[in-house]
Amino acid sequence: MRDWLGLVLAACALALAPAGLPPFAMTLLTEALILGLFAMSLDLMVGYTRLISFGHAAAYGLGAYTSGYLLLHTDIPMLFAVIAAALFSGVVAIGVAWVCTLASGVSFSMLTLAIAQLLYAVAFKWTSVTGASDGLAGIPRRPGPFGIAVFGGKAGFYYLVLACLFGGFVFCRALVRSPFGAVLRGIRENEAKTLSLGYNTRRYKIAVVAIAFALGGLAGALYAPFAGFANTELLFWLFSGQVLIMVIVGGSGTLVGPIIGAAFFMLVSNMLSSWTDSWALFFGLIFICFVLFAPQGIWGLATRAFTAQPATAKRGRWRSLNWTG
Amino acid sequence: MALLELDGLTRRFGGIIAVDRVTMRVAAGEVRAVIGPNGAGKSTLFNLITGVVPVTDGSVRFDDERLTGLSPYGICQRGISRTFQITALFPEMTARENARLAAQARHARRWQPYGGGTVFGDAGRRGDAALERLGLTHVASRQAGLLSHGDQRLLEVAMALAQQPRLLLLDEPTQGLSVEETAQAVETLAGLLSDGAMTVLLVEHDMEVVFRLAHMITVLHRGAVIADGSPDEVKADHEVQQAYLGGLA
Repeated sequence: MRDWLGLVLAACALALAPAGLPPFAMTLLTEALILGLFAMSLDLMVGYTRLISFGHAAAYGLGAYTSGYLLLHTDIPMLFAVIAAALFSGVVAIGVAWVCTLASGVSFSMLTLAIAQLLYAVAFKWTSVTGASDGLAGIPRRPGPFGIAVFGGKAGFYYLVLACLFGGFVFCRALVRSPFGAVLRGIRENEAKTLSLGYNTRRYKIAVVAIAFALGGLAGALYAPFAGFANTELLFWLFSGQVLIMVIVGGSGTLVGPIIGAAFFMLVSNMLSSWTDSWALFFGLIFICFVLFAPQGIWGLATRAFTAQPATAKRGRWRSLNWTG
Repeated sequence: MALLELDGLTRRFGGIIAVDRVTMRVAAGEVRAVIGPNGAGKSTLFNLITGVVPVTDGSVRFDDERLTGLSPYGICQRGISRTFQITALFPEMTARENARLAAQARHARRWQPYGGGTVFGDAGRRGDAALERLGLTHVASRQAGLLSHGDQRLLEVAMALAQQPRLLLLDEPTQGLSVEETAQAVETLAGLLSDGAMTVLLVEHDMEVVFRLAHMITVLHRGAVIADGSPDEVKADHEVQQAYLGGLA
C-alpha cells in the first residue's frame, strides 16, 4: 500500500514537471527517463537473475536503429515504429540469449559483450541500412495513427516517455513478484538447485533476456526520435558499461534504484563535464566508492534510512553481482 | 514391479570406472540404502539417476519409462526429488520461501509471469506442510542461510518432500551433523518413513543411520555391487565385512 502511494506521488511529480521546468531541463529529464527505462530493463537480468550483461547496449542500439530506420524509410507513425522496434529487439534477444546461455558466469558476460560488439561492427559496415559511421540522421516524430500529433512536441514526447517508463515499471514489478519472478530469484541464488528442483532454468533465462531486451529496445526506440539520430555509439561497449554502472550505483535488484541511478549518472556527468574533460575519471571514483562503501546503491541507502531493516538482506544484494557468489 | 530399475549402469571418467555395471531394483514403498567406502561411486550413482552426469552405458528406468538421456529437470518432473550431499539451498530466502519454490516446481502454472496468488497459495500450503512434517515450522520465517546446519539439512529434505515425489533420493542427510543432531534427524526421518508410503534411495556413511532407516541395502565397492539384501544379510556377508564394515559386525 505504502509503495503504491510513493509510486503515485512520483508519477504526479514527474507529470507536473513540464509546467515548472525550463526547456533545456526538460530535454535532460526526458533523456534521463529514457535511460532510466534502459537501466531498469538491465536490472531484470543483473539484479534479479544474476545474469551480468556486458552488452546491454545491443538492446538499446537495436531499438534505436530499428525505429530510426522505420521512421526514415517507411511512413508508419512513430508510436507503431517504437512498438515494432521494441518487439524486434525482444525477438532478436531470443537468439542472442540462446547463444549466451550456452555458458554461465564470466563466460556468459563475455558472450554478451561479443555479440554487442558484433552488432556494433555490423552497424559500422552495413551502410545502406545503418548509415555506417554517419548513423541515421533527421529521424522524424511522425504523427498518427488517426492524426494524433501530440507526441511530436517537447512536452508531448516527454509524456510518451513517462508513460513507457511507468508502464514498464508496473510490468517489471508484477513480473518479479510473480511465480516466474520467484524462479528468477532461485536462479540468482542457486542455479544448480533450481535446475534440480525441476525448472528448465535455461528457458527462464532466455525469457528474461528477451523481456529485458524488449524493454531496453523500447528505450532505444524512444531515443531515436527523441534525439533525431541514431549512431554506432549506441551499440558501443562503453555504453554497456555505463548502464551497468547506473544499475549498480542506483541499487540493483530494486527496479526503482536503476532509474535513480540513470538520473544520477546524467546529472553528475553533465555537471562534471562542464567542469572538466576527464569527467569519466571522476565518475569512476564515485562508482568505486559505491562498490566499496554502499554496494546496495542509492536506493538501498535511501530505504535503509527510512526503515529499520537489518542489513543482512541488503548485503545480499551485492552478492547478486558477484559471479562466484 | 520395481519403481526404479538400473540395468548394467556404467559411468567412466577417462580411464576410471566410477560406476561399474550396477544392476539394482527399488520396489515401491521400499527404503533402500546404498553404502560403500569413499569413492565407491555412490554420489555418481545419484548423479546418473538424476541426469546430472550422462550415462556411459546401461539404463535407468523409472515406472517403466527410460530416463537415460533426459534432462535433470525432465527427470525431476517425472517425480524424482533429491537432496545434495553438500547442502544446496536458497540462502537469502526464508525457509518457507525455499519450500514454496520447491513445491511451485510441480505446479502447472509455475512459470506464470504475473499475479501468482493461486500458485503461491497452493505451493505455500504444500511447502508449509512439508516444513511441519520435518518440525521446521518454528524457523519457517527465518533466512535459510542463517539456520543451524542441522535445520538446513532437514530443510533440504522438506523441499524434496514439498514436491510430493514418487521417489526420494537422500544423499547423506546427516552429513556434517553432530552426534545429537544426527540422532534427532534420524528420529525425524524414521517418523517420516514409518508409514511406508514413500520410496527412498539413501546414501549414507553412518551405519547406525542406515540400519535404523533402511529395509534393504546395496553395497558398492569400487563402483560395483558386491552385496544386496536385507540389513541382516548384508551384515553377515563376508565380502562386505572385508571391504567395508571392518570390525562393526
